Order: sequence, then C-alpha cells, then structure tokens
Amino acid sequence: MIATWYAIVSLMLVLYVVLDGRNFGAGMLQRFVARTPDERRQVIAAIGPLWSWHEVWLVGFGGTLVAVFPRLMASAFAGYYLALMLILWGLILRGVSIEVRGQIDDPLWRGFWDFLFAFSNFLLAILFGAAAGNQVRGVPLDAHGNFSMAFFTDFMARGHVGLLDWYTLSVAVFTVMVLAAHGATYLTLKTEGAVHDRCAKWARHLWMAVVPLFVAISVESWKVRPGLADYAMNRPFCWMGLLLVIAAVCAVVSGITKGEERRAFFGSNLFLVGLLVTGSAVFFPVMLYSTLAPENSLTAYSAAAGSKSLFLASFWWPAGLVLATIYFVFISRRYAGKVSVARDNQGYY
Amino acid sequence: MFAFFLESAFIGALIWGEKRLGPRYHFLAAAAVATGSWLSGFFILVTNAFMQHPAGYEVQPDGSLGLVSASAYLLNPWALVQFLHNQMAALVTGSFVVTAIGAFYTLRKLHPTQARLYLRAGTLTALIASVLVAFPTGDQQAKMVGRYQPVTLAGMEGRFEGGRDAGVAVIGQPDVAERRLDNPVEVPGALSFLAYGTFQSFVHGLDEYPPEDWPDNLELLYYSFHIMITLGTIFIVIMSYAAFRRWRGRLETSTWFLWVLMLALPLPYIANTLGWMTSELGRQPWLVYGLFHTRDGYSKVVSGGDTIFTLIGFAGLYFVLGVLFLLLTGRQIDRGPDGEAQLQVGGEESFV
Repeated sequence: MIATWYAIVSLMLVLYVVLDGRNFGAGMLQRFVARTPDERRQVIAAIGPLWSWHEVWLVGFGGTLVAVFPRLMASAFAGYYLALMLILWGLILRGVSIEVRGQIDDPLWRGFWDFLFAFSNFLLAILFGAAAGNQVRGVPLDAHGNFSMAFFTDFMARGHVGLLDWYTLSVAVFTVMVLAAHGATYLTLKTEGAVHDRCAKWARHLWMAVVPLFVAISVESWKVRPGLADYAMNRPFCWMGLLLVIAAVCAVVSGITKGEERRAFFGSNLFLVGLLVTGSAVFFPVMLYSTLAPENSLTAYSAAAGSKSLFLASFWWPAGLVLATIYFVFISRRYAGKVSVARDNQGYY
Repeated sequence: MFAFFLESAFIGALIWGEKRLGPRYHFLAAAAVATGSWLSGFFILVTNAFMQHPAGYEVQPDGSLGLVSASAYLLNPWALVQFLHNQMAALVTGSFVVTAIGAFYTLRKLHPTQARLYLRAGTLTALIASVLVAFPTGDQQAKMVGRYQPVTLAGMEGRFEGGRDAGVAVIGQPDVAERRLDNPVEVPGALSFLAYGTFQSFVHGLDEYPPEDWPDNLELLYYSFHIMITLGTIFIVIMSYAAFRRWRGRLETSTWFLWVLMLALPLPYIANTLGWMTSELGRQPWLVYGLFHTRDGYSKVVSGGDTIFTLIGFAGLYFVLGVLFLLLTGRQIDRGPDGEAQLQVGGEESFV
C-alpha cells in the first residue's frame, strides 16, 4: 500500500517535471531565441494555453503528499520554509508576467514582463534544482524528525548543511541546463521560421552539455550519498530508469541529427522520466535523509498517514486522475501542431 | 483538488482558445471554469469548516487526526452554510461591481445601452443577493456559531455577561479590561431571538468561560463582525432604494444616487474581508475548534524573523498586484464594452 502511494506520488512529480519543464525551458530561452516582438509572441503562444494546467500538477503533487505522507510535509514544509516561499513567489511572478504582458501594447511594458518572465523561470529552475540536490544529499534532520537550514553554511555536503553547497549548486546548474534543453527541443517542435532555427541550434548545444554533466552529477551523487551504488545495482527499477535514460539520449541524438523533431522531443521527455524514476527507485523508502544521523531519516513508512485515510484516498485519487487524463487527451489534441502568430494571435499575449 | 485542475485548465482554454476551440467548445470551457471555481471554492470551505466544526475524523492512537468518513467531511453542515453565505457574498460583490460600472457609464453618458443593462441587472441581482447573504445564509451561519461556538458568539456581540432577553448592541465599544460594553445602544431581546429563536432564550456570556478560552483579540472580532453587519444592512437599504427608483422609472436620472452606486464599489470587498476576519478571529484560540490549540500548531523550526520577512514579502507582492489589478481593470472599463471581450482572471479567487 505504502509502496504504491510512493510510486503514485513519484508519478505525479514526473508528470509535473515533464509537463512544466518545457515551460521553464522555453521561458529561460525566450530572450535568446526570439528577437522581434512577433517572435517573442510566438514563444509565448507555444506554451501559452496550457501552462497553468501544467502547473496544477505541482499542486496535485503537493496535495497528494500532504494527504498521504503528512509527517513528511510537517517536517519538510517547515524545514524548507524560505526556499518554498521563494518558489511560491517565483511561480506567482511567472504566472503574472505571462498573463499581464499582453494587456498593454507598449514595448517597455512588454519588455519588462518578458524580462520578469525569464528571470522567474531561471530562479525557479535553480530553486527546484537545489531542492532536488537537497533530496539526494539529505538535510540535517534531528531525532524528532525536524530540521531547519540556513541558505548556506560552509558549502560542504556533510553534517550541518545549508540549502546551497557545492553539490546542490551543481545539481541546480544541471537542472537549468536540462530544462533549457527540454524547452529548446519543445520549441523546435512547436515553432516555425527563425525561432525554429535558433531553437534547433540551442537544443543541439544544450544537449551536448547535458550528457557529460549527467555523468558528472551521477558520480557526485555517488560520493555525496553513501550506499547509493549498492541500491542502484540491486533494484530492477533503477536499471529500468537508467535504461530509459540511455534510450532517451539515443532518441534525442538521432532526432536532432536527423531533424526528427517529434522523436527528439519524445527522447527529451523520456530523459526526464528516466532520471526521476531512477531517483525515486534508488531512494525508496527514504523520503528525507538525515545528514546528521541516518537513523533520523524519514521513510515512507514512518511518514505515511493512518491506514483508514489511505484507504479513503485510494478511492478518490483514481477517480480524479481518470477525469484529469480524459481532459488531458482532449486538450492536447486540440492544441497539437505548430503555433502560428497569424492564426492564434488574439491580442492576449 | 480535481476542481483545481478543471478550473485552471479551462481558464487557459477559455482565454487563449477562442478561435481554436470554436464557439461551442469555448462556451463549454466557460461553463467548466465556472463549475471548477465553485467546486474549488467548496473544497476550500470544507477545509475551513473542518477547522471550525470538525466532522468525519477520528483521533488515532498516536494523537494525530485521521479522516475516516469522506461523506461526513464533505457534507459538514457548517461547510454547506458557510459555502452558501460565501457564494452569496461573492454575488453581492460581483453585482456591485457591475452596478458601479453602469453608474459610471451613465454619469459619463457613455455606452447608454450597456449602461442601462448593467444598472438594471446589477441592482436587481444586488438586491436579491444582499437579502440572501443576510437571510437565510448569514442568519444560519450565526445560529451555527451560537450552537457550536457560544464563546465566539459572545465575543462577536461583546457580551461579557450571560443571560436571558439578550439584546443586540447597535452602538457600543467593548472594554475588555473593565469587561463591559461602553455606551451601548441595544435592541432588547434581539440576540436571544436571532440566535436561539425566542426572545427569552439564554445567551451565554464571556463570564461563563475562562479568559484563556476567549477569542484572543476580542475588540477586533467585535468590530469586524459589527462593521460587516452594518455594511450588509447598508447594501439592502441602497439596493431597495434602487429597486424603488427603478419601479418609478427614475433609476438613471438621479445624479446623487448614481454617485452612491458608483462609490459603493469597494464596500462589499471590505465586508468580505471583515467576514473572514470574524470567522478566523472567532475561532481562536483554536486551530481546529475544540481539538487543537493555535499555540500548539505553529512550527518550532521556522524562526520569527523568517515569517516576518515572508509576510512583508507577500504584503509587497500583493500591493503590486493590487495596483496592477486596478490599473488594468481601469483601462478595461475605460476602453468600454465594445472592445474585444476580455476576462478579468482571478477576481473571484481573491475572496475565497
């Protein structure tokens, strides 16, 4: 039961990263791939209609975590307090800038919101990356399952760590690169003309950087979190995840070199899926690892809600998911294909 | 949670997709946004109602609360009453906005056809909603407070002593140190009647409860509640008068009354905020009423400085968003109803 819920929560995280990741990437790259107002609009139109729908998966992920693993949330929401508030502000700014930029047709106004849009996307990618780094490295959990962290301490990944250290920073850089590569691949698929060509170039360069970085991060993680390699060897899900990553890299490389945009984007999605599947599988059942003493760590079993609550949730959750999936299929079909400023421009973006 | 998906997904579809979806699907999307907003509003209020009047739970061996009955949780009587009261308040707000815009256009002699429609539909809806928000929904809500949180009701009404034939103070300032209401003007028996149905009913006073069970900020609670009630009464008076003028066919001719309708715009927003303050201040000192004290509920590892920092941050962010909202809404009103129809996203959200 608890393992199933762990898998469900992981699945929601995967969905969120895959779906919203393209928006982060596109947002970060907007300034680089689009120069004229029309081109900027094309980028916004590529992510426009669905970004809030993608973001809701984060709410879904958080909501499910609260419902199923309340002990984890009690500890993590308080421990990550400042970081979470920054993420929240970033999400607010991102949402506001994308909705407000089209309200006044003025180059200064649009330029300002475009800048804020790019800035908040960078900030969010860095923060989410650092958060992922913290999950791998662990946090200074005490014997009561509580922790509080400074933004940074001595930048060492041992003992009384801060939110940022050499390891989490490197994961943040990696995250920025991966999401940018993902976004560039997505934009290549969705756009035409000059934007398309620039995106294709960015995608090629970014993926060339991501693959060696992935190897480097894996080695770092193995150094930072003891026992990681043993788990990775012994669990079939980890092998599957790693195979997915390798298959994804092949798909991306062949997709980009042959100009098969769909294949490249499929590979890009697969890469994120494989990465997160490996991560979830390798750490199970530990959900929050303690850098002070491993026995303080919070596991899925110690953090889960009572069995009656879980029983109730197992009825409500699938019902919600089925409805959401039906809707998702419907809406994706409606918005399939390349965007065109001439056809879709309604003055809203 | 699903309601959130529905709402946000279709808002996107609604705003962005007019051409791509075609008119039929576009209307469907609009309906879905409305349903989603209602549903998510309901779920938010179910959560709040659980904190006011817990239902469908069980205390587990380790002392934590577990949900055992989804139906009892979702059909919490408090939630139903609170939801209706809240939705009526939202309707009051919306209709006052429409009325104010109609009054503005009439005063400026702009867009006469739409202005007439806005004024007429706005004042009629506002009258109905203003009555409904007070009775039966507000009335039921107060009865619920009287039944389940008598100490809160005593605080809201500034009743330091219990007794029969309790009056409602129309004017009066609570003096917590002296435990009395200064220079009160009371309607005798009204509170007994409103809360429990007869003029002779016994209404509990604060003196029956130890001070540590009193709502923490009595004065603020008292004033929030009373100003909300006063505003609600004013809404009914204004809109009744509007209905009277309309019946005489003189709704659009009186400059001073159009000014009143236009300037009444912010009042429902104030009343909504005060209503929430009454609800949340009245619940103190409990986080979950009767089960969990607020003083036990805060996080020990988040420092006071951190929370002040984020509070200031949120205040700043919301101030900027508020200015932005006024600017863009003002432009939209200025542009008039003939321009391409655009939506004000997030208006409803702000008072849920």
